[in-house]
Amino acid sequence: MADSTPEQVTLTIDSQTVTVPAGTNLIEAARTVGIEIPHFCYHPRLTIAGNCRMCLVDIEKMPKNQIACSTRAAAGMIVRTRSDKAMKARQGVMEFLLINHPLDCPICDQAGECVLQEFSYHYGTGGSRFEGQKVHHDKNVDLGPHIVFDGERCIKCTRCIRFCEEVTHTHELGLFSRGDHTIIGTFPGRQLDNAYSGCTADICPVGALTVKEFRFKQRVWFLRNTPSICAGCARGCNVNLGINEDRIWRITPRDNDAVNQSWICDEGRLSYQTYQQGERLGRALGSAAAGGATREILAGSGYEQAAATLGEIARKHGGATVAGVTSGHASVEEQAALKELIERAGGSRIALPIHERGDDDALLIRKDKTVNAVGARLVGGANCTAEELLTAIKTGKVRALVVLREDFLGELGAQAMAARGALDFLMTLDWRVTPTVKASDVALPLCAYGEMDGSVINFQGRIQLLRPGLTAYEESDPAWKPLLEIASRLGGAAVPKNFREAFRWAASRIPELSHLDTPALGKYGVSLESPAPGRA
Amino acid sequence: MTSQEYRPLLLKNIHRPDSTSLSAYRESGGYKALERAVKEMTPEQVLEEVKASGLRGRGGAGFPTGMKWGFLPKGPGEKYLVLNADESEPGTFKDRLLMERDPHLVLEGFLIGCYAVGCSRGYIYIRGEFVEGWRILLKAVEEARAANLAGKNILGSGFDCEIVIYRGAGAYICGEETALLESLEGKRGMPRLKPPFPAQVGLYGKPTSVNNVETIANVPLIVEMGSTWYAGIGRPKNTGPKLYCVSGHVRKPGVYEFPLGIPLKELIFEHAGGLLRETRPLKAVIPGGSSVPILPAEKCDVLMDFDSLAAAGTMLGSAGVIVLDDSVCMVDALLNLARFYAHESCGQCTPCREGCGWYVQILERLEKGEGRTSDLDLLLDLSDRIQGNTICPLGDAVAMPVRSYVTVFRDEFQYHVDHKKCLAEPAPAPI
Repeated sequence: MADSTPEQVTLTIDSQTVTVPAGTNLIEAARTVGIEIPHFCYHPRLTIAGNCRMCLVDIEKMPKNQIACSTRAAAGMIVRTRSDKAMKARQGVMEFLLINHPLDCPICDQAGECVLQEFSYHYGTGGSRFEGQKVHHDKNVDLGPHIVFDGERCIKCTRCIRFCEEVTHTHELGLFSRGDHTIIGTFPGRQLDNAYSGCTADICPVGALTVKEFRFKQRVWFLRNTPSICAGCARGCNVNLGINEDRIWRITPRDNDAVNQSWICDEGRLSYQTYQQGERLGRALGSAAAGGATREILAGSGYEQAAATLGEIARKHGGATVAGVTSGHASVEEQAALKELIERAGGSRIALPIHERGDDDALLIRKDKTVNAVGARLVGGANCTAEELLTAIKTGKVRALVVLREDFLGELGAQAMAARGALDFLMTLDWRVTPTVKASDVALPLCAYGEMDGSVINFQGRIQLLRPGLTAYEESDPAWKPLLEIASRLGGAAVPKNFREAFRWAASRIPELSHLDTPALGKYGVSLESPAPGRA
Repeated sequence: MTSQEYRPLLLKNIHRPDSTSLSAYRESGGYKALERAVKEMTPEQVLEEVKASGLRGRGGAGFPTGMKWGFLPKGPGEKYLVLNADESEPGTFKDRLLMERDPHLVLEGFLIGCYAVGCSRGYIYIRGEFVEGWRILLKAVEEARAANLAGKNILGSGFDCEIVIYRGAGAYICGEETALLESLEGKRGMPRLKPPFPAQVGLYGKPTSVNNVETIANVPLIVEMGSTWYAGIGRPKNTGPKLYCVSGHVRKPGVYEFPLGIPLKELIFEHAGGLLRETRPLKAVIPGGSSVPILPAEKCDVLMDFDSLAAAGTMLGSAGVIVLDDSVCMVDALLNLARFYAHESCGQCTPCREGCGWYVQILERLEKGEGRTSDLDLLLDLSDRIQGNTICPLGDAVAMPVRSYVTVFRDEFQYHVDHKKCLAEPAPAPI
């Protein structure tokens, strides 16, 4: 934020007195008192284009209507958003925008969240005097790997162009042709192929740009948005999970100035597909029978068996032979619970596998592909690498291993699988069936992404909440529950009954979090460095 | 001085066969004004002279040139003077004549302008179709450089000024000054939002003044003869010589130079040879290029200057005087104009982009005899919705003539609705 507080100006909008910092545009100034000035091309995170003319307002002492997006609030200004002059211009803009629009809302994916549709109801006349031939443009234009363009629905607001110029700096899109034949397209030889291309569909006010992976899948009014955090990398972008019939159909960005502004990367946007692939682990499984094909489904939770075995190994070989593998994919509560269990069993060795790919980019993407590596470090106890742990197993220093949300053996490869034999006991907690799960003596089912509450801390040190919108699969739980159940059987404290208690339990053991409670984290999380709300 | 005795000042050289050469221009006294300016006057003095002359911009708006230059910040910071040579207004062909027949007059005025505002790199943006004018200007700049009239240390005065010529790609909208700047920067020619105005943020983000070719061609006169002398030409607040482009149904179409304020009828009937056919009376005149409201014959007793035409409800504009006799169907004429604007609308802002095409469709059905009376009101209403609500004046430039033609010649439009044909009787033979 700026060092000095900007000067405040007071003006009048529709008879309401509004005081805003000097320089605020009239759309934002009106918003502060709940007055909507309709607009298509204006987007708070892009430069002002002023082309849609929908935000024309009537300002006293000005002969012409002025566009609110590029007019700055000034002291004493008297603005009328609903005078005859403003309304007539706005109705004109609405009518103009629709004359060449296909009006195909019944088959348009944007219907239900289309600004053109909404403003047409709110500010249009309900009819059109246009009777001629509409200008036709190409439809179903493949712009890139994720985006399809319908030239007839486009209202030429140029948000997508400005996004590619100003946010991604990739410059794929431009305006071509003139007059009512003006059309958006990619420059010759280019594709709309940047890491954030899906955002163009988010900011498209109409159904001109749609995401291939989502289009025609669901009517948006059937979707419930669950505010959550993208788990694709250490940024922890704020997102909405669009859910219907217990399934995520899309992930869209949720504004958070401090984390991801209004954007998410395409990988994060499509990350829900990953969670819908592969075999889920739904029940507690015991050892594989001879041949390894059939798994015994444990009667009950498996907690008793796990606690007994860990206790026995600790007694026989010493507590130090019990080790854990924690994970940046796990929540703070889960990581703290793993540490608790290992310590209850007398162990101290915990590995944190690293998942890095590519490089950090200038916008959002982080090379650390885990959402909560910072959490693992804050929780503490992670004191060795995966490779060091493997060596300890091979040399007999570790005989019992508890693995949390990691395919520990699978990712280390054949030599790790070979080392499996050196373990007396392998327990894995995961949401899907991995090679490590398959090799485990006990495997406990965990909630997958979207099925549970959990706190995660991003690379900036901001603690945020993962929220559930899906039913937990079969008998799956957040890992803190089975881990603390087993720990309690080894003499640990009572098991928290719900997420809030689990968070408080974990937070009380971590000085940086000890002042926090889940309601305080809200929708935007809290920075552990400067505990201010995320939305400035 | 009557206009019969008037001796052209801007067009004095154009009839010389070698009029484009530096030597011919110098023989007739050319570049003396530049020499005087850079050697004997300070930039402020030049600016004051131009202000005192009352020179108003000849591109269409008639804004005082000295005041426009005065908006540029003083001091050493980088700033630009840009010559708008993108003459494209239908009915207008004066700048083209100046550039093709007297390029050094244009250059001299431009260099003096650059001196006055403190610009060391002036840009000439010339319309893409003016290939001939472009070649001539290129050669003229080369000659001027070789003669130390442009480039470093001009005439030993210490004033440096490079001139860069840029050819547009042929878009009417690039005559709008901010679209011109966009195009000059290599971008798609679309008008910018104002504010900021070019005098604050112009070419490459620097303070910029954009001036019309004819405007600039007046500057050597002012410097050479003095502002008092110059202000004696024409009428109060409408001073100086003016080029009038007369076209349409006249015997002698062409560019005519007279002081501002010549009576329109004198221009048509005495100088342009009168109407083309004796049997066809005057119907209307478009006095300032296609974008201005039309004057019906009975309102043509006006003086051709900024203020007189404004008082008559129209504009001097670019002084593109289009004379229409009674063979012209106003529905057809307006359709023709609407098609032009629909083709030239840049497509950036909604009312102009969508409205121009809509006008065309309505006018087409009226022309075909398929229109309705309500279409006439629809045309007027669309003009209300467009005018004043667009980014640049192109929207106004189409909305104004539509409103004017439909209002002034409403009976003719109504006739098309009622009788499915023109009220006007076409001329018997093609002209």
